[in-house]
Amino acid sequence: MEGVLWYVLASSRGGPSRVRIVRALDERPRNANQLATELDLDYTTVRHHLDVLLENNVVGRSGDEYAAVYTFTDATRTNWDTVEEILATVEDD
Amino acid sequence: MTVWLEVALAAAGVNVLLLLALGSVWLRGYRQHGAKHTLGLLVFAGFLLVENLLWLYFYLLHPAFIEWFEATTTEVQVGMTMLCGLELVALLFLVRITWR
Repeated sequence: MEGVLWYVLASSRGGPSRVRIVRALDERPRNANQLATELDLDYTTVRHHLDVLLENNVVGRSGDEYAAVYTFTDATRTNWDTVEEILATVEDD
Repeated sequence: MTVWLEVALAAAGVNVLLLLALGSVWLRGYRQHGAKHTLGLLVFAGFLLVENLLWLYFYLLHPAFIEWFEATTTEVQVGMTMLCGLELVALLFLVRITWR
């Protein structure tokens, strides 16, 4: 999981944007729409990054697709030390 | 020129392009945040780039190597081609997850 977190958040093209999403979700769980507004990103961009985070088991979602609130998975919470290390390393874009 | 030499040459050429693309993402990332993980990938891309440039040199500009390749058996030609060909497949998977 640690390697996945580093790859998805630090070593891929969308890493900096996904770091912003992780920071926002760490404040409180939000849905895609709220994330787009909060981070001033395009809704489809946010959905793209959330899909990458979902596919890699970094976040999970509750409820139906459109209103779904995103939260961190157990795998991410177990490795929260790594997440904090990454958040300290990778600046927002 | 045997067709296998052409395929191997093309694979090495595409590998160089893919490694430059991957390297550019990792170099940009490393410059921005200096994470060790990203540096590791950058070093990996650097060495694979040198490897593929060496292949390009042999396949394109080294008469003795080309002569040997054309004179050897088909199974050796296919085997040599798979070195760059399989690396191409592996790099395509890496590009797919890195570009997202």
